[in-house]
Order: sequence, then structure tokens, then C-alpha cells
Amino acid sequence: MTLLNLCLALPVAGFLLILAIPKENHRAIRTAALAVSLLVFGLSLGLAVRFDTSLPAYQFVTNVPWIASPAIRYHVGIDGLSLWLVILSTLLTPVGVLVSWRYIDRRVKEFYALLILMESGLIGVFVALDLFLFYVFWEVSLIPMYFLIGVWGHERRIYAAVKFFLFTMAGSVLMLAAIIYLYTQAATFDYPAILSLVAEGRLRFSPLEETLLFLGFFLAFAIKVPLFPLHTWLPDAHVEAPTAGSVILASVMLKMGTYGLLRFSLPLFPSASREHAPWIAVLAIIGIIYGALVAMVQPNMKKLVAYSSVSHLGFVVLGIFSFTQLGLDGAVYQMLNHGISTGALFVLVGFLYERRHSLEIADYGGVATPAPNLAVVFMITTLASIGLPVLNNFVGEYLVLQGTAQVNFRWTVFAAIGIILSACYMLWLYQRAFFGAAPEPVRAHVHDLSPREWSAILPLVVLMVWMGTATQTFLPPIGAANARILEHTRQNVEFHVKQRPPGAASAEVARAR
Amino acid sequence: MLHPITTVHYLLLSAALLLVGTIGVLTRRNVVIILMSIELILNAVNINLIAFSRYFGDVTGQIFAIFVIAVAVAEAAVGLGILIALFRNKETVWADEIELLKW
Amino acid sequence: MSQYYTTTDHFVLVPALMLALFGCAVLLFEVLVFPHPRQRKWLLLFVLLGLAFAGAGVWRQQNFLASQGIEELTAFGGTLTVDGFAIFFNWIFLAASLIVTLISYRYLEVEGEHHGEYYGLILLANCGMFFLATGTDLITLFIGLELMALCFYILVGFLREDRRSNEAALKYLLLGAFSSGFLVYGFSVLYGLAGSTKLRAVADALASREPWDPVVFLALATTAVGLLFKISAVPFHMWAPDAYEGAPTTVTAYLSVGSKAASFALLLRVFLMPLGAAREVWEPLLAAVAVATMTVGNLAAVTQTNIKRLLAYSSISHAGYILLGLIAGNETGIKGVLVYILVYTFMNLGAFLVVVALRRKDLLGEDLDDLAGLVYKSPGYAILMLIFLLSLAGIPPTAGFIAKYYIFLALIETRHYVLAVIGTLYVAVAIYYYFRIVRSMFLAPLADTGPLTTSFGLRLALVVTGVLTLGIGIYPEPFLGFAQTSLAR
Repeated sequence: MTLLNLCLALPVAGFLLILAIPKENHRAIRTAALAVSLLVFGLSLGLAVRFDTSLPAYQFVTNVPWIASPAIRYHVGIDGLSLWLVILSTLLTPVGVLVSWRYIDRRVKEFYALLILMESGLIGVFVALDLFLFYVFWEVSLIPMYFLIGVWGHERRIYAAVKFFLFTMAGSVLMLAAIIYLYTQAATFDYPAILSLVAEGRLRFSPLEETLLFLGFFLAFAIKVPLFPLHTWLPDAHVEAPTAGSVILASVMLKMGTYGLLRFSLPLFPSASREHAPWIAVLAIIGIIYGALVAMVQPNMKKLVAYSSVSHLGFVVLGIFSFTQLGLDGAVYQMLNHGISTGALFVLVGFLYERRHSLEIADYGGVATPAPNLAVVFMITTLASIGLPVLNNFVGEYLVLQGTAQVNFRWTVFAAIGIILSACYMLWLYQRAFFGAAPEPVRAHVHDLSPREWSAILPLVVLMVWMGTATQTFLPPIGAANARILEHTRQNVEFHVKQRPPGAASAEVARAR
Repeated sequence: MLHPITTVHYLLLSAALLLVGTIGVLTRRNVVIILMSIELILNAVNINLIAFSRYFGDVTGQIFAIFVIAVAVAEAAVGLGILIALFRNKETVWADEIELLKW
Repeated sequence: MSQYYTTTDHFVLVPALMLALFGCAVLLFEVLVFPHPRQRKWLLLFVLLGLAFAGAGVWRQQNFLASQGIEELTAFGGTLTVDGFAIFFNWIFLAASLIVTLISYRYLEVEGEHHGEYYGLILLANCGMFFLATGTDLITLFIGLELMALCFYILVGFLREDRRSNEAALKYLLLGAFSSGFLVYGFSVLYGLAGSTKLRAVADALASREPWDPVVFLALATTAVGLLFKISAVPFHMWAPDAYEGAPTTVTAYLSVGSKAASFALLLRVFLMPLGAAREVWEPLLAAVAVATMTVGNLAAVTQTNIKRLLAYSSISHAGYILLGLIAGNETGIKGVLVYILVYTFMNLGAFLVVVALRRKDLLGEDLDDLAGLVYKSPGYAILMLIFLLSLAGIPPTAGFIAKYYIFLALIETRHYVLAVIGTLYVAVAIYYYFRIVRSMFLAPLADTGPLTTSFGLRLALVVTGVLTLGIGIYPEPFLGFAQTSLAR
């Protein structure tokens, strides 16, 4: 039983444990959920400690047969890319437990059971090395989220839950078709095996085949990211979801899409990825600017943060499709950053909602007076989110911009506009909510952070500073993994990138030929 | 001048009966007549079977025909039984008036 | 024993003999031995005994084949053939009969129509199914089909005082008899082509003819119409929603799995063996039918508000998926069909079990709203229903996903890419309407606070179907192996 299998199995055990607790005993249920999630987090830190960046292959591998014919295996393992995403999932789950402590007051048992069960599905997505297994985890993680939104959400929860579910399902069934097609060509579901077949040129696709396969995967991932114009489910889901749901959704679930792009789309279909990179990058940039502009006019805090997610994830996709080491590193770093800072924003908005029972910005004002600590933490998170140096997002955005600049400087310019816009909407939000005259309900109900709330938000704030300053803690494994992915995208590129983006004659692209 | 009646003639007769039966089922609205049309179809089958049996000099077809006749009787009995049950609850034999369930 | 009834014949026939014997015994005993309503539980015991004996017969056949290492055992001069295929289906039929028997006792009390004939008819219908799976002769297959169908006509109309039930039975009978007529007409033409009613002889006769021969086409077309009626494929599906809605829910459950599985057994036997030679003719036809079936089934289900009707349309769409496996036609495809039918039996039965539990004296329990907030009232039932619906929709880690996966794998292996993509897209549509039920159960406020109609049998059946639906999804290996050994030939 490797550490990784424990991380996968413990949440399931915790799920069963919570089911065994009588449903009136809310305290025991919450404590059990917190204990299990902290334990899993501790174990996952062990992964980071024992992770060896110098090794090129996957680590903590388990590879045992599951279904004999056709051969489907339980094959899991992590590399530098999945390592931090696993830890992000295990970190955000206890945070989700803590923020729900008071917030969830009905059907407590079911809530925590689902939350803990979902953790297993999320980890599974990031560690599965068998395409079939990956698909199974991909779907399994969906169902708990459907219920988290649908049962514990706000007024329009059912609409939001169904929309979320249908959007993601519609994408993933096509991915299933693509996975099965891949199997019939490669005769295996094993991802490393398929990858080496592709790399060695023993598995070749015609341009049409590769394009269709690429699109099959891409659609599933793009909906999940979500890439403009497939993003419409996201604001609804976020606004209606309970705080913990929003946190997990934004911090971890959206990363499943970008992770999939990096892990599967790029290495498996290098030619198609490169061919389609220009329009995907354009969509990403549209997403960056559109998300920021729409965020600016939102009267609802959660919707604002949701649209800011569309904007931030645009950077990630842009970085991925720059096909440069810097761009990819930045993209992965930005995935983590977004998980931390947007997760923190949803946590804080949740705190405000618990006090004032409103998500409308207009209902707030002058919060800094009754709750100075809350205001400070919110300020730090805001600054992190808009990419202030020393804080985490700056590193990711900078890397992405530099990576894109090597390919197409115009993309960099447009993306940078997005950063400026993000400063506008975030600071404006902060000004409206925290400064000015405090209306009566705010003064009456808004109090400062409690110890429980501190414990939920403090790790995230610490990470913002840590990731913004000590980047070398995190970057080496990411860089090694990305270098391997880039290596794969350069091999056996069989048909040329027909429409080169204007002015893209960078060294990076030239080397790829 | 008399033409000999061959197997083909029987088959044509059978096909004609099948057609008549099918049209009957599809166009008539009286349940009893629909049941009778189904009998016509089964009789078309019987003619087929007997003709082939005669043609091959093989008795299997005739046995098959006897089974078909038995089944036809059973079907008619059950059908009329159900029709009577329905008639007790709603006095009609017209398929158009059986409208509680969407067709 | 004479040459007309050898020990082999007897050995092969035992399950059917047991079913018929106990079926008739139940009919007689209700009148002669246990006339009092309170004694009906003894009848139930008889039914279970009959199923157990039949099961023992099938089990012995299975062991015999395995121990002798032979593929098949023919009896009555090639009229009956016991092979892995027949044994596979016979287990499915027996399991379906057992589960339906378990849940019927309480349900019929609630409906106020508790008569011993019901159980007799179930056993006799199962007997008919036995012949559909085991028969390799046109006459046997026809008689088996009619025996099953006649029992079902009566079962569908079993609620004599209920006009919906009467109408459903009448419609089912008229269309069913009509389609049987077509089927047997096709059989007669096949007999005319071969001069024999044995499937193997028919197959040989067809193999020596051109696939596009008009007489072959006539036989193919009429047989196909009859068979497609039975499996409720579009455009011959009109009877299914009405029959499903009007019939007593337990019968609907039995109809949707037992009758469908048996009809597919017949369809596989006929299309793979005698009509296999004309594959190039029927493959495009069936492909068109399968696409139409999935389209109509899935799209019509979206707007339904009656759960039984919704499940009826969903079962139509499942028939489309199963047909896709036959169209692929390679080993994976046929294995996929078998796995699909096995899985479908349990998940569909399970879904109907929950609907059965909703029925009360004062509540029909068939409307989507009757499920509203079920999770607040009976969380166990709601969660089991969720598992069945996830499985019907084909979402991992449930059995339905494994089944659909095999179908898609077979389609892609045989280069039917368009069909595979259409199939996967309809999965998304299916999720929408299955999740309407989920939404009602989990997200809507509790509407009806009355208790569910439960019984020990119902709970047992629910647990069995639930465990199988989830178990086959998580560890499918033994069941896949079972299907693998059951591939016809």
C-alpha cells in the first residue's frame, strides 16, 4: 500500500465512517470529517517530502489488473504536475470542512460524507495513469458536486446543478468515445504505454483522426476549465453553490480541465495541439478580457469572483498553448495560485455571507470598521489575486506572459490588459464592500474572524506569500514534468502548423520543427 | 384450358391474405374485426406451410400449421377475454374510444 | 426410455418441465388445496420451489457442459440446444422471475387483485422464455414466444377493475398478435427456403443463396418486423409505453426485463444463425432502426411525467443500444450485448422496485412528483434508486457504464464511428431525463409523507439488485467471464 493509495482510500474510509455516525450527532460528524481530511492532507505532504524530482518517471506507482479483457488496470502514480494538484485537493478539503462548520445546518451528515467522498474522486483524476480509470474518476467526482450544489445551494440551485452536470457530461461522453478509439488503435488504455507508442512513432494518426481525437478530449477539458464560450455554467454553479462547493469547484475541479490539457491533449496529440493552438489562444485571451469586463459590472460578489475565475483560467490555457517551458511552468503555477487565491476569496465571501446573509455588494460597506482582521485578510487576497509582486499570482502571470511573449507578443499585450482590468474590478469591489459608511445591518451583524475562521483562511494566506517568494519550493518538480511534456510535443509532429500566428517566429517554435 | 395449380399459386394466395390481414389491422377500428384480421394473417401462414409441406413432401410444415392453429385459438380466446373485461368497465368495442392511455 | 424421449432429452427439458409443472400446480392448488386468501403464502412457497427446481436443472446442465468440456448438448433431434448462450439467458430469466415473485405478494394485496393465477402465469411465462433461449427449431421458438406472450397479455390486464390495465392489455395483445403473425409468416418462408424448421438447416439453405434474393428478403423483412416489435424497437414501439403504464407495476418490471431479454435471445439466435448469411442486407436496416430507436426513446422520455412511461421510453432506448452491439457483430459486440442484457435486467428491475414501493391504497405512485423529496422520507430507497438511475444513464462506477462501454468499444473496433458518436451523444440526453427523477428525489421538498409499501421480499430484492448494479460496475470481471463463456458458438 503506497502512500498514494492511502490518500485515495482514506477518504472512502472516512466516507463510510461518517455514514456510520448517527445523523443527529453533528459535532462528531464534523470532527470526523475534519480529522479524516487533515490526515489525508498530512499523508499527501508525505508525498511531497518523499518525491524525488531527479527521477524522470512516475512515482508511488501502483499497477494491478482490474478488468482482464480488455485489459484495464488500476494504474496510478504521480509526477511533478500531479503532485501539487493532489496536495491542493487535500489542502482545500479541510478548508471546505472548516468553512461549512456553521454554514451547513441541515443534512449535515450527507454533506460531509459527500465532501469527503469527492476528495477521493478529485485525487483520483490527478493520479490515474490508465485512461479508463481516469474517465471513471472524472465522472465519479462529478456526482457529489451535483448534490453539493443541488441540495445545499441557494435559490436557483437546481437549475445551476443540472446545468453544471449536463455541460460537463456532454463534453465527457465524447471524451469517452475518443478514449475507446484510442484503445482500438493502441490496444491498451495504459497512458505511459500509449505515450511511448506515440513518441516512438509506432502509433500514427492521420491528420483528420488526430484532429477529431484532439477535439474529443479538448471539448471535455475546455468545458471544465471553462474556456470562453463554454463558460456559461460556471457563474450559475458558483453563485448557487454553498461556500465549500464553490471553494472546491473553483480551486480543484476547474484544474481537472487544465490538467487534462497538459497531461493528455498535448503529449498524445502534439501535431493537432500545435495546429489548433492559435485559435485556442485567441479564445483564452477573449476569456481573459471578457471575464474581467463582465466581473467589473457584477453586483453579486460570488458572480464577480466566478467571472474572475474565467479570466484567470484564460491565463492558464494561454500558457499551455504557448508551447514554451516558461508558459507551461507559469500555467501550472497559475493553476495552483488560482486554487489558493480564488479559493480564499470564496472562503472570505462565504464568511461575509454567513454574517450578513447577502451576496450583493450593495448590501455591504465599511466592513473594515467592525471587522479589521477580516478586512486585512481580504486585502491580502485581493492583492494576490490582482498579481501584486511578492504574492503568488504575480509569479504565475509573469511566467505565462513571458512564455507567450516568446511566441506572439500581441497575445502578451492583450493578456496584460486582463491583469490591469483585474486590478480594477477587485479593488473596486474592495472599496465598495470594506470602506465607506457601514449600513446598520453591517454594523449589527458583521463581527471579526473567529478562531475557526482563522484556521481555515490562515494556511491559504501563508501559502500566498510563500508561493510568491519561495518559488523554488514548488517550481522544480513542475519544471521537470513540463519539460517532459514539451519533449513529447516536439516528437513526431507530422503535419506542419499551417497557420502560423503572425510574428511567431520565436526560437521556441523554430526548435520544435 | 385448365392450368395446374402450383405451389406458387398458393404462395400468392398466402401473400394476398397477409396483405388483406395487415390492411385490416391497420384500418379497421372495431376490435373484433382487428382480431379477425390477425386470424387472416395466421391463415396466410398456414397456407404457406401446407403448400411448402406438400412441395417438399415433408410433414413438418403440417405439424407447424397445427401448432399455429392452436396458438391462433389461444390468442383469440385471451383477446376476447380481455375485450370482455374492458367491455365491463367501458362499454365499447371501438379502438378509437380506448383512449385512456395515449396510443 | 424410448428413442423418442431419451435421457438426454429429459436432462435438457428438466427446467421447462419444472416450470410448467409447478405453474400448473399453482393454478390447481389455489382452487383445490389452498382456497382461503390467507393460505396464499403457501402458494408463494410453491412458486419459489418451482424456480429452485428449475434453477437446479439449469445448474446441472451448466456443470455437465463444464465437466464434459463440450460446447453444447442437443436434444429432441436438434430441436433444443443447451449451450452457454441458453444457460446464460436462463439464469437471467430465473433471476427476473424470482425477483418479481418476491415483490409481487405485497403489491397485489395493495392492488386488491391477489390471485394464485398470477404466480402460475409467471412460471409459465418463464417456461416460454426457456424455449426461446434453448430452442433451435422454428416451431419450438414460435411456441415458446407465444407461450410467453399469452401469459404476458393476461398479466398486463391482471387488474380487472382498472380500465388502464384493460386497455393496456388489449393494445398489447392486438399489436403483439399482429407482430407474431408477421414473425411466423417469416418463419414459414424460411421453412419454404430450407425444407426444414431446424435453424441450422435454414442457415445452410440461406448460405447457398444470394443475400439479396427477393424471397430471402421477404423472409428477412417479415421476421425482422416481428422481432423488432417484440423488443419494442422504433418504428414498432408504440405498444410499449401504453403497456408499461397500464400494467401492474410488478408486471411492467417483468415485461421490461424478462420479455425483453427473451426476445433478444430469440433475435440473436435468428439473426446470427439462419440470417447471418444475409448480414449485408440487414446490417444497414438494423443500424437505421437502432438510431431511430435511440432517438425516439431518448427524446420522448424527456417530456414524460409518469415514471413508468418514462422508464418505458428509456427501455426503448436501451433496446437501441443493445441492437448496436449486434450491428457491430464481432465477438466484443456480442459479448457486449450479453453483458448489457444482464446488467439491464438488474438495473431496470431495481428502478421498477422503487416504483412498486411507492404504490399505496390511496396513491398511484407513478407521477414524478410522488417521488419528490424521497430522500427525506426513505434515504435508503432514494440512494438505491440513484444507483439504478446512474447505471441506466451509464455513469461509472456502475454496471451500466461497463455495458455501454462494451457496446461502444465494439462499434469502434468495427469502424462504426458515426453510430458510436450518436450513441455517446444520446447518453448525455439520457442523463438529462434520468436526472429529472434524481432531482425530484433529492432536491425537491418532501411532498407525500405517507409510508412506502415495503415488505421483506421487496427489501431483499432491492438489496440484491443494488449490490449487483454497483458490484458489476466496480468489479465486473466474473460477470464478463460468464458472458465470455456464453458467447453463442
